[in-house]
This record gives sequence, structure tokens and C-alpha cells, in this order.
Amino acid sequence: MTTTLRAVLEAFQVAEAPLSLGQLAATLDVSPPLLEGMIEYWVRKGRLREAGTAGSACAACHQGRACPLIVKMPRRYELAAPGERAPEPPPPCGCCHS
Amino acid sequence: MPTVRIALAGNPNAGKSTIFNALTGARQHTGNWPGKTVAKQTGRLPLNGYDLELVDLPGTYSLSAFSAEEIITRDYILDECPDVVVAIVDASNLERNLYLVLQLLEMGAPVILALNMIDVAESRAISIDADRLSAALGGVPVVRLIGSRQVGLDDLKQAIARYIHQSERVRPRWVLPLPESVAAEKSRLQSLIEREPVLAARYDAGWLALKLLEQDDDLLDRVASFPIITAAMAEAVERISAATGEEPDTLIADLRYQVIGQIAAQAVTRGCAEPTTRSDRVDSVLTHPVWGVPVFLFLMWIVFQITANASAPLVDWIDGVINGPVVNWTQIAFNAAGLGESWLASMVIDGAIAGVGGVLVFIPVLMALFLVISVLEDSGYMARAAFVMDRFMQRLGLHGKSFLPLLVGFGCTVPAVYATRTLEHSEDRKITAFLTTFMSCGARLPIYVLFGTAFFGASSGTLVFAMYLSGIGVAVLTSLLLTRVIYRNKPVPPFVMELPPYRLPNRHTVWLQIWTQTRDFLRRAATLILAASLVIWLLLALPVGRGGRFGEVPPHDSLFGSVSAALAPALAPAGFGSWQATGALITGFTAKEVVITTMNQLYVGSGAESAPDSDLGSDLRAIAIGLGKALVLTVQEIANVVPRTINLLPGVALPELALVPAGAADEAGAPQLQSALRAAFTPLAAVAFNVFVLLYVPCVAAVSAMRHEYGTRWMLTQAAYTLAVAWLAAVLVYQGGRLLGF
Repeated sequence: MTTTLRAVLEAFQVAEAPLSLGQLAATLDVSPPLLEGMIEYWVRKGRLREAGTAGSACAACHQGRACPLIVKMPRRYELAAPGERAPEPPPPCGCCHS
Repeated sequence: MPTVRIALAGNPNAGKSTIFNALTGARQHTGNWPGKTVAKQTGRLPLNGYDLELVDLPGTYSLSAFSAEEIITRDYILDECPDVVVAIVDASNLERNLYLVLQLLEMGAPVILALNMIDVAESRAISIDADRLSAALGGVPVVRLIGSRQVGLDDLKQAIARYIHQSERVRPRWVLPLPESVAAEKSRLQSLIEREPVLAARYDAGWLALKLLEQDDDLLDRVASFPIITAAMAEAVERISAATGEEPDTLIADLRYQVIGQIAAQAVTRGCAEPTTRSDRVDSVLTHPVWGVPVFLFLMWIVFQITANASAPLVDWIDGVINGPVVNWTQIAFNAAGLGESWLASMVIDGAIAGVGGVLVFIPVLMALFLVISVLEDSGYMARAAFVMDRFMQRLGLHGKSFLPLLVGFGCTVPAVYATRTLEHSEDRKITAFLTTFMSCGARLPIYVLFGTAFFGASSGTLVFAMYLSGIGVAVLTSLLLTRVIYRNKPVPPFVMELPPYRLPNRHTVWLQIWTQTRDFLRRAATLILAASLVIWLLLALPVGRGGRFGEVPPHDSLFGSVSAALAPALAPAGFGSWQATGALITGFTAKEVVITTMNQLYVGSGAESAPDSDLGSDLRAIAIGLGKALVLTVQEIANVVPRTINLLPGVALPELALVPAGAADEAGAPQLQSALRAAFTPLAAVAFNVFVLLYVPCVAAVSAMRHEYGTRWMLTQAAYTLAVAWLAAVLVYQGGRLLGF
């Protein structure tokens, strides 16, 4: 038997292009908040992970929000390789040429 | 007065602490949970002759052993047996929050469900039937709350009071419905647990059996000294897996989600006016696999129309003020001090004011850009742009996450290079960092606007847009070269992205972004650009070859002029082989804005627009009148973005708004630098020059970042490649344009 939770994971595995949370929720016929919870389950199990965002990428930059065209990137989830480590955060960049 | 213990549990951001504060007021104590660094908040509330001791449990999504917060919450409920557990849920996100509630009920905790943020849910047209919800959860009391406005707190207090008085026997008990295969195994395990007095005294045997089937690490440790139970559990897990083809923990979690889906179907109604639904409809166009990219490009075209055209009148006004009254007043001051012809006056006027002033005039351009981008960002569109372009990136063989550093590169290449660290694979990181330089950084924008307004007038926005697009085009070609020729093409993992609902931009947020970014630009103008201006002035004042005195040497015979003239022939095939243009590009290696600084010093220098004997009063009047005209013209240009955009359609010719007569708009004359550029460049050479600026070696800070991250070899490879591509592209544009008769 295939559970909805398993179907969530399989959707990540077979997807050929990025999906929005709404699209995946519609495909699986669940509400987006419920899907968020299911994704959270797989994140806890280490099978999915929350990918980096603009905020984290520039978190170490002393310019912070002063950097033009920086956008608040939405939350993004992707498959996690077993036992992998999170990427190293960037160091302070020193200056911003804009 | 008898003491009653009340625990507040809930997901992070469900408003738990707000309700805790509202209930306890100043009667609070803060400490740490024993042996943990997690903060523990307790407080007191007198209610109906009882002394309520409230404990604010850490925010958790679940009651597994995943984090310290979850273990603390679970252990508190197991060990301290609170008289009531108030489960606070975010009503606008009920389904996600119910997972924790179900787990609390499975434990047998005496739960009252507090539906918080009802107002947020209603604003999203989410209606929750409290009675049906209560019934679906086995009769659990449900209270509606708006914690932030202290609405419903009395109802919550009354519900707590009723619950305290209620006999335990009549309290609701909810059990997770299990399929036969799991229920039988749970029952067997439960019987074994009940036979162990130590375990039976501490845990609800049914709950422990279920958690053991879920392979809860923390509880597995606690039963490790009971071999009969661990052996039975291992066998049960194996049998369930064999029977269902699924791990028991996933199976049980899935059952909870199924139940939550059923409860939501009974108790939650979503109106068709729900913003999420509207967002979905808009998204069907904006994130469409085919239309998404053209829509994104069209919006960017509008952005650059507004940025370049709407800001042009204010750019002209600031230029007139700096090169007119400011230069005049400074000259008058030096004259009064008897230093009118000194090198010091030349350094201040020709160096500092011409150099820094040449960059400051572009503040309106940058503010316009910051404004439009902030509005797009705050409305939620930028998240869609990231989503759409991510898909596009994957088609190019790049990791979808590469879009982030590349997007940052439109602002500044330095953080963009560092942002490549968010990519997991070394090859992805190196390729993306290599491409960041082609994403035209904000420092190059004033150069495009300068040339665009000088040569193409109202179409300057199109030139700016074309430059950005060209940068993306070269990045695409380079990525294809790197991913398909040099590096092995790897499959890229897909992902799921949360797209927030669209909303009206917040004025405060938008203004804050404009201000912080403009302040940063001004800071740079006062430091780096001022220093570069003075160094360039010094190099222009130092004579070489034919002699001459310091500060009085013609620019061409200066150290700067000689070096630039020696390199200029290399750029002649691109149509801008003058020593001035070459010199400006050389100094652009310091920072791209310095290209304008240098040009202003070389082409304009001390050329003031009005006579030094003009009086302060008439100057101030002229400045005020000029500002008024510039503001009216700005409104006119913003309004004209619409007809100019529609007029792109063949056969359409909408009239443009004319608030100021055409002649009056040009009364002040074009800025001096733009006039000088028109004399020094042909339009085709101007485009070729912009293409070179777009593609050639990034500034020294970006090159340093590249070396820091990827080593000298990769940095030199990028520098050589960008220089070669820039030269080739500029020559192609210029020579190709000439062949086509431009």
C-alpha cells in the first residue's frame, strides 16, 4: 500500500521540474497546510531538507537588507542525501558595490 | 487555595506566548528547564478560588524525540501530569497544527483546544465550526481566541474552570483509529507493557506501545532494559512492514494525517474569496511553464523603463545643481581665500566634486530601482520570479538553487560569489560563481542610464533592459559551455517551493529598503568613490614625457593619460579607442561607478554651467524652480510608461502625456557629461562601450571574493574570460552594426 506520506516523498523523487507547494498539494489532493506538515515529517526523518534561502545566504553580510535586489526567498524543500551536512554559511562579504 | 497546573502547548508561532502573557500578566518567572538551555516560563493566575500555575511549554510541531523542545514537552506532560493542557493552534493553519493536538490526545492528556488567530483565518475566508471540531476530537472543549487583541480569554478561563471541576471519568478520550494489522500488534505490545509494573506506573501502556512501534529513539532507550518488550517490538515492526510494505512510523504518521484531513473536511470551510485561491489563479499565469519567463522579462522591462526614464528629470536637476551652483560656490570660496588658481582648488573642484558629483547625480536612478524592486518583492512576485527562473536554470543544466546567487549578482557580485556556498556540489558552485559577473550589478546601472539618456532619450530604458538581458544571454551561453563541455552534465534535484500569497506592499517596508540602500550608496560615495576620485585627479596632475608642472599638465600628457593612451589602440576596433574611454574602463576595475567619476573628470572637469559671479539668492531660486520642473517631468515620465509600453504593439500609437511643454523640458540644457559623450562617441560606439562595461572584469572586490572562494587559478580564468568576451562582444556589436549601416 502507498500512503499519502510516501506519495509526498515519491513526488520529490519523480519530479522533473520545480513544483510549488500549491501544485503538489493539488496533485496529492491535500490542503497546503496539511502538505506542509507532511513535508515537515520527512524533514524530521532526514529524507527531505529545507534548502538555503536568500536570507541565509546573505545572513553573514554586514550589508544585510542594504544589498539591492536581495529578495526574501520563499521556503524551499528538496531531497536530502543520507548523512549529508548542511552547506557552510558564507562569511561576511566586506562590501557591496551597488 | 488549591493549586492547579495548566500547561500551554502548541506549534511555534501559534501565539502561545502572547496568550501566556495575557493570562499571567506580571506574575511570571523565567528560568531554564532542568539540564537544558531551553527557557522555561511559568506564571500564576487566580481563578474561581484556584491558584493556577501556568507553564509555557516550548513550541513544537510534534511529540517525537526529534529535538530538546519535543522531549521537554513530552516529559512534562508524562511526568508532571498537568491538570489541563491548553493546546493553542493557529486557526489559519489548522491542519498543520492538529498533528500535535492528536499526539497530545493519544497521550491521554486533558486537552482544551484554543483556536487562536481566528481573525487571520477569517481574513483568509477560512471558517471553522468549533462544535464539529470538538465532536471530531471526541468532545474536546474548543475555544475561539484572538490572542493579540485579548479576545476570548474569558471563554478560555471559563473552559479551564469547567474542566477542573469535571470528573476524570467523564472527560473525553480520543484514540487514533488503527488498521487491523497495526492494532493487533499494538494490543500485544500493550499487554506486555502492562505486565511491567515500572513501565505501567509511569506510562499509558497503549500510548507507549504505539510510540515503540513508531521506533521513538528516546523511548527505545527507556525500555532497553526490558528485553521481552524490545524483542516483541522488533518482531511487531517486522510483521507490520511485511504486511503493509511500509515502515510502521510512516504508516502511523500517515494515519494521523488522514484523520486530520477528515477532521478538516468536517469542520473547516474555505470560502472562494480566499486569497490563497486568488493567488493560485494569478500563479497559473505568472508561474506558467511557458508564459512565466516572458511575463518575468516583461515586468523587468517595465522596471527599467521606470528606473531610467522616470528618474531622468531629477538626474538632470542634480547634475545642474552640482555642476552649476555647487561648483560656483566652491570656486568663489577659493577665490576669496586667494587660492582660486591653486592645485588645491583644482583637486576639490576637478577631483572631488566632479568625481563624487558625477556619481551622486544617479541617486534618483537607484532610488527608483530600489522602489520598484521593493514593491515587487513585498507584493510576493519576486518569490514567483525565483520559482520561474529556477525552472529555467534547470533546463540549462544548472542547479535550481543557482538562481539565488545569480539574482543577488544583480545587486552586487561580491555577496553573489559568497552566496554560491549554498550549493552543495563544488562544480555547481564554481560554475555559478563564474556566471555571477555577467549578472549586471547595480554599480553598472548608472553607466547605462548615462549613455542611454545621452544617446537614446526616452528609449534609454530599453538600452538598460537590453544590457541586463545581454548579460543573462552571455551567462546562459557560458553556462552551456561550462556544463556541457568542461564539466559533466549532472542531473539536478527537483524541489518544492512555498509561494506566499500576494499582498499589497507595506509602505514602511518599502521605504525602509529604499532608505537603507540609498544610505549605503551615499556612504560609498563619501569613502571609496571620493578616494578613487582623488587618486585619479592625482594621476591626471602628474606630468610625464613632455614635462609640465604638477596640476597644470594637459590630461593627455599626465601619467594617467599616457598609460591610457598606450592601451587605447586595443579598443579601437570596438569604436571607443580614445585614451579617455580606456582610462575610464581601467579605473572601473576599482568600482564600476568610478567609470563615471573618471569620465566626469576627463570630459567635464571644472566646466561650471553658470557664471562664478552669480548670487546666492538667484542660485537658490533657480534650484527650487528646477526641482519643481523636475518633479512635474517625473510624474509625466511615469505616466508615459503605459502608452509607451502599449505603443510597442504594431499599429498602436497612443498619445503621451505632456504636462510640461517640450521646449521647457530642455531649457536647462542636457547635463554637461552627456553633451561631452555625444561629441566623443557615436551611438553605435556608445552601445559597444556599454556592452564592454557589462561584460568585462568585475571590480577588485569581486575578483578578491572569487580568489578567496575558488583560488587564484579560477579567478584568473574568469578575469581572462570576461575580458576576452567583453572585447569580442563589443567588437562584434560595433563592427556588425557598421556592416548593417548603423
